[in-house]
Amino acid sequence: MSLRDLMTMAKPAAELRLKTLSKVWKALPVDCFQCMRCTSGCTSLKLLELKPHAIVDLVKFGFVDELLASDIIWTCATCLKCKERCPQRASPYDLIMAIRNVAVEREAKIPESYMKAVGQILETGLLQSVQKVTTRKMETLDRDSIGLPKIVLPNEKFKEVFMNVLGGA
Amino acid sequence: MARIGVYVCHCGLNIAGTIDVKAVVEDAKKLPEVIVAEDYVYTCSDPGQERIKEDIKKHKLDRIVIAACSPKMHEETFRKTVQQAGLNPYLLEIVNLREQCSWCHSEEHEKATEKAKALVRMGIARATFLESLKRGMIKAKKSVLVIGGGIAGIQAALDLANAGFKVYLVEKTASIGGKMAQLDKTFPTLDCSACILTPKMADVGKHKNIELFTLAEVEGVNGYVGNYEVTVLKHPRYVDEKKCAGCGECEEVCPATAPNEFDMGLRTRKAIYRPFPQAIPNSYTIDKKVCINCMACEGVCERGAIDHEQQEERIKLEVGGIILTVGCDLFNATLASELGYGHYGNIITSMEFERISNAAGPTGGKISSLVTGKAPRSVAFIQCVGSRDARFNEHCCRVGCMVSLKQAILVKEKLGEHAEVYVCFNDMRAFGKGFEEFYKRARDMGIEFIHGLPSEVRMAQDKSLYFDVYDSGTNKLLQVNADLIVLAAGLVKSPDYDKLQAVLHVPRSADGFFLETHPKLRPFDTPIAGIFLAGTCQGPKDIPDTVAQASGAAMKTTELLAKGEIEIEPLMGEVDSILCSGCAICKTVCPFEAVQLKTEEVDGKERTTAEILEAVCQGCGACSTACPTGAIKMKHFTDKQIVEQVKAACS
Repeated sequence: MSLRDLMTMAKPAAELRLKTLSKVWKALPVDCFQCMRCTSGCTSLKLLELKPHAIVDLVKFGFVDELLASDIIWTCATCLKCKERCPQRASPYDLIMAIRNVAVEREAKIPESYMKAVGQILETGLLQSVQKVTTRKMETLDRDSIGLPKIVLPNEKFKEVFMNVLGGA
Repeated sequence: MARIGVYVCHCGLNIAGTIDVKAVVEDAKKLPEVIVAEDYVYTCSDPGQERIKEDIKKHKLDRIVIAACSPKMHEETFRKTVQQAGLNPYLLEIVNLREQCSWCHSEEHEKATEKAKALVRMGIARATFLESLKRGMIKAKKSVLVIGGGIAGIQAALDLANAGFKVYLVEKTASIGGKMAQLDKTFPTLDCSACILTPKMADVGKHKNIELFTLAEVEGVNGYVGNYEVTVLKHPRYVDEKKCAGCGECEEVCPATAPNEFDMGLRTRKAIYRPFPQAIPNSYTIDKKVCINCMACEGVCERGAIDHEQQEERIKLEVGGIILTVGCDLFNATLASELGYGHYGNIITSMEFERISNAAGPTGGKISSLVTGKAPRSVAFIQCVGSRDARFNEHCCRVGCMVSLKQAILVKEKLGEHAEVYVCFNDMRAFGKGFEEFYKRARDMGIEFIHGLPSEVRMAQDKSLYFDVYDSGTNKLLQVNADLIVLAAGLVKSPDYDKLQAVLHVPRSADGFFLETHPKLRPFDTPIAGIFLAGTCQGPKDIPDTVAQASGAAMKTTELLAKGEIEIEPLMGEVDSILCSGCAICKTVCPFEAVQLKTEEVDGKERTTAEILEAVCQGCGACSTACPTGAIKMKHFTDKQIVEQVKAACS
């Protein structure tokens, strides 16, 4: 490989690159021509500094290791705007999901918040815990006080299916 | 037995780099009918051709097999070679070792060599049964139909008319001029579009060799190269072109209005209208879709030019050749809905900008907001809208970069230095003569170039427009607040192409545009003899390229028709009238309408058989394959020739 990143002295990882790309379903990351439309619209850019175009470019060159080691791949909010609007069907979203899967296969540490979310879903069937809110008039409201129906907790069958899905990924 | 000469070409390393040409030659030598077999570096070169000619004379060869590139490339070259040595040009067989063997199997040298041997043996088998054929001559009419009155059609019509041909120019709308008439300035010289176009339009109107049909379309084309019969449907104008002087009294009194197409619907016109003041023909037109038949126009027209009873007319024309110059459409920017066109005000397309910037346009040439009428403080251009985008069109519109550069410069010129101008681009394609200098001029004027495309355009609570865009140069997410946003909407195929294709049978490429015969060497021709292409109906292009192609197509038409007769290829179907049962299956499968049925009296009984029109037949072979009695023989592709080739492939 005649390419080297002078900041980290890293060389591209050809096999890892292929492995990552093989997990991308129907998207064409190598077709990316860096118009940066994905990053212009990225929901996670402003707070979490996710730059989808840079991720696509890093994978194109084969600098996958630094992505696997970085927390940045876990910041995608999966709004799918980049996939919808990509003019080359490169779909940064699909690529980010592929990198996450490679990372998990290589036993990378999954961020705590993700594990929390999994526990939450198993317990309540919801991604977020049910919260109480305080209005501008300093009233505290919850589901009961505004007349929303009670939340039905998931049954054993759901938990079984959910664990199967996680195991299969 | 045939006496065959086999010549295997190296084509430099194109063939010899993959295929062992010596082995192919040795293999061919084993066949008894092969008298000479040789390899040569460049068979198409002058010394290469000389060797073949010498061998034909020396060894009394009566068939030649050349294993080289595609016959599309050099079949004609070598036909001339063998003809010069006294052989019939159709006693030549080309074996395609380059495109169909060495290029596609460049990784597998041994297998490629085996395939090459088999291909050459097949060629030899077919060559053995080749027959001498004679080329025919047909008369050609010295008149030309030009379809489409934009700058391409105007240029082609003028060139041909000046060369002495009779030209029929058919235009769909009420005036010639096309999209160029709508433009304000042209890049990279900034000369006024109308100033350079309208003199040419006037020339068309006055030329004694040009007959102009406006509000007309080509409904049917029959016949063949040199002898096309064309039916033109002329829609009623409801105004007599010859009587109307264009005074405009009628327009004053007309009460009905409609969006003005020439101004991209940015203002209205009356039901009786003239698209623009320099229109050719300089005559008014009544739009019956909006006319309320109040007859007020009739009352004020002193010359009695108005005729509400006018009917559509069908006109038959006889022409030798046809040039297709119907232009293209603009991308419908509402499809890229995230950019807000059609949803928010103050977002316009490049063509709408042209009308706003034009002194004769709806704002009198003042760059201003269509909502507030005020001059914008900041203008943003967004490139590649609908182009280079797999969701809409894969192709590049080829003019968007330069159009936006020009418009950005016009904004700076008209609104002054303080006006902020942003161009969001992906690649800046400034490839033409003077284009890069034009780009530099734009940068020097302080126009901001942002390397990145926005994902979406939004409206703030105060109704102002803004978008976020990531700039790769600064590695920053920028927010741009723009009072006016201009979308560089691309050039795309027109729905009219479907109708024209059904009439003309000209094939189209994957991008929807009409397909030229060869992208480099035959850019004006179509596979249909006598039909040529020019302008954006062949693919997006700018004005200089359009004019160049139009003049080229006119030249090609001149070359074809100037002598008054045309040589035709003898590769066509031939009906054996004894075997023909008159079932007419051939007539239904023929894509070129080359089959006719004729009825004759034979021994007191009426007998119907098929007949193939030599000049129309393109030699595709569909009829021969479909014929249930085997009555149609394809000259130069006879059953015997093909069967022997298959046998050689299987042996």
